[in-house]
Amino acid sequence: MDKSQNLKSNSFIELNARERARSILDTGSMRELLGPFDRVTSPWLKEQGIVTQADDGLVVAKGTINGQSAVVLGIEGSFQGGSMGEVSGAKMAGALELAAEDNRKGIPTLAVLLLETGGVRLQEANLGLAAIAEIHAAIADLRQYQPVIGVVAGTVGSFGGMSVAGALCSYMVVTREARYGLNGPQVIEQEAGIEEYDSRDKPFIWSLTGGEQRFATGLADRFVQDDVDSMNAVIRELAKAGVPASLRDQRIDEFLALLDSIDTNVQPNSAQVREIFGKGVKA
Amino acid sequence: MIATKEPSQAPVWDRRRSEKQRRIEKLGKLADGRVIPTNRIVEALETLIAPGDRVVLEGNNQKQADFLSRSLAKVSSAKLHDLHMIMPSVGRSEHLDLFERGIARKLDFSFSGPQSLRIGQLLEDGVLEIGAIHTYIELYSRLFVDLIPNVALVAAYKADRKGNLYTGPSTEDTPAITEAAAFKNGIVIAQVNELVEDESELPRVDIPGSWVDFVVVADKPFFIEPLFTRDPRLIKPVHVLMAMMAIRGIYERHQVQSLNHGLGFNTAAIELLLPTYGEKLGLKGKICKHWTLNPHPTLIPAIESGWVESVHCFGGELGMEEYIRARPDVFFTGSDGSLRSNRAFCQLAGQYAVDMFIGSTLQIDGDGHSSTVTRGRIAGFGGAPNMGHDPHGRRHATPAWLDLLQTDNPLERGKKLVVQMVETYQAGNKPTFVEKLDAIDVAKAAKMPLAPVMIYGDDVTHVLTEEGIAYLYKAQSLDERREMIAAVAGVTPIGMRHDPKKTAEMRTKGLIALPEDLGIQRAEATRSLLAAKSVADLVEWSDGLYNPPAKFRSW
Repeated sequence: MDKSQNLKSNSFIELNARERARSILDTGSMRELLGPFDRVTSPWLKEQGIVTQADDGLVVAKGTINGQSAVVLGIEGSFQGGSMGEVSGAKMAGALELAAEDNRKGIPTLAVLLLETGGVRLQEANLGLAAIAEIHAAIADLRQYQPVIGVVAGTVGSFGGMSVAGALCSYMVVTREARYGLNGPQVIEQEAGIEEYDSRDKPFIWSLTGGEQRFATGLADRFVQDDVDSMNAVIRELAKAGVPASLRDQRIDEFLALLDSIDTNVQPNSAQVREIFGKGVKA
Repeated sequence: MIATKEPSQAPVWDRRRSEKQRRIEKLGKLADGRVIPTNRIVEALETLIAPGDRVVLEGNNQKQADFLSRSLAKVSSAKLHDLHMIMPSVGRSEHLDLFERGIARKLDFSFSGPQSLRIGQLLEDGVLEIGAIHTYIELYSRLFVDLIPNVALVAAYKADRKGNLYTGPSTEDTPAITEAAAFKNGIVIAQVNELVEDESELPRVDIPGSWVDFVVVADKPFFIEPLFTRDPRLIKPVHVLMAMMAIRGIYERHQVQSLNHGLGFNTAAIELLLPTYGEKLGLKGKICKHWTLNPHPTLIPAIESGWVESVHCFGGELGMEEYIRARPDVFFTGSDGSLRSNRAFCQLAGQYAVDMFIGSTLQIDGDGHSSTVTRGRIAGFGGAPNMGHDPHGRRHATPAWLDLLQTDNPLERGKKLVVQMVETYQAGNKPTFVEKLDAIDVAKAAKMPLAPVMIYGDDVTHVLTEEGIAYLYKAQSLDERREMIAAVAGVTPIGMRHDPKKTAEMRTKGLIALPEDLGIQRAEATRSLLAAKSVADLVEWSDGLYNPPAKFRSW
């Protein structure tokens, strides 16, 4: 076996939000809007003694994918756990709204959301929640015209209101190291007790919320390896595929019927969840 | 001749042997041959141990005889008290419950990582008396001199009915501890995960049955912790920078061929830079060939790239079993194929047979003395002082050892490299370089005869920080040595003593080296140089043979 291959691997997870955005857009096409030098930072964090980041942890990257206009919105997971505050949330919502505007003006523009986020930024409370609601509305608007592609690569994963955003996306892409769920493991453990949900039991957590499981249960559309070229290829393929025939949130009845059929007296394991969802959800 | 009042008695030369026999006979039918039933271990301990006994309890750095320690903590303190406990590592809460419950009184130990705070408190409360804090080899040595045990409580994976033990990858301290008791009429009791009928069912025999008096099947497998696994994901660019400086400014410069690495992200970064940065410098086959260290998963890429000729281990590391089994040319393995570790021998190897020790610490003072003891915490030494000094009993020469010669005097001897690799500040904004070690006040408060210094300044040959390397072995005077340390101590209290005007002069003289003096651009120090960036990458390098423990998985 040629071990030197191991040195050539090009991890997508290793990249920060800005590098990820650049790796997805056509080479040389990226320009950043409201970048770090514009210094639009959170007005709330510094009052709470927290060092701000010059882009508030959100990269708005305009450019092209397959030569077509695109905007990549990258959440920086290493800043405040990728949490969405007033400014970062407004940047994302605003960029999505402008993309929808462009579509209406006859400039087809798609969007890619790089989700590494625990959800709302608790320090900014309702302002963050309001921003997330605007993001949801903007996704629902934009996806009529062009695909909105969500990506959860790791290592933070995607939780909270931003996973609702993920569910609204035209397509979801995950890696093996991704976790994608509504409540984070520690929150569930706190609410349900460690007996039911041990947040430190990593194989257990991944067996239920990990990328492989989410793909197997039809809650994600593509499962890619942690590699820049593979990720790039999948995004390109989905961009070309255009608007999907059906969207997850238009199949609510189908999901509710599935949930109703589950026996909640037993805690299902990974395989059982796959079986339950395998019955009807896969598009 | 001196007249005696009473008629002279025949001298007795076998008190220990007869006492051992007496206790074993008293146990009677409780044991089935050598096998003590699991549910009667407390009773058995009450019979086989006597008040005031010296008891060695196997609590090692990695594996713990925890069924025996939990059982010992349950004995009646009316029956068993004033025990003198001898423990390589005090790592579990029941180790100290023994003292709180009045079962034990005196403690001789080596390392106490997680229990360091509680030892400090019990000492202050007068519940516990410390004989001494040792290095590992020092403690094993005393088992054969003035701390000869009456009872040894050890742990193994498997035993047969004759007491043959399989300790396998986690042999660690068991041979040293068992030997001291077995050959001086002490009683050896081994807890095992599994009992088999016959020797033929054991993978191999690590401890012969004639050394072991009793075995007991534990209620659950012995506790073992993957202490030496570092997730590459957590290695930061500053670790990469320091690792580049180490490879360039120390390993390459002195041609370090044999070495020990401790746990830590700095040395993990060095291991992961060998197949990339080291390869680029053309150093393969010239440095880092022979290792004494635990089987670090981060060493896998270097092994797979052909850097490593041999590794001898103190202990095992969870998840590395199958990988090691498949690489017997590199690791020490038994006839069954699995790893054989041995802490006593590996410590000796690290003391006498390697060119270099590189380690980290919590505090260094202006003279280069270092300690991991901080206020209220009595952490002990472990093995660092054994390896982190220049052994004067060494007589063989290697290129690195000779490279530290400073004069033409035919009677000058070479020197082992002892490298302290530290960031100038620790987490929580605490300076590493301090005016006065906390160890001095801790010693005073605990009435210890010596301040617990991990590595004495005169043993340190190099200090490496993110600022630069101080080549302390070149110092002509204590003042010069202090200036060299201050020059790389950043903005810590010691670093602030440095006169920047002197920097250029010291760089020219080769007393200190900054990254640029070593041809390293700080901006080059990125994670992209790491041969593996995640635990998943390590698994891939190992062809799937490395099986990381659950807590290191992120998939």
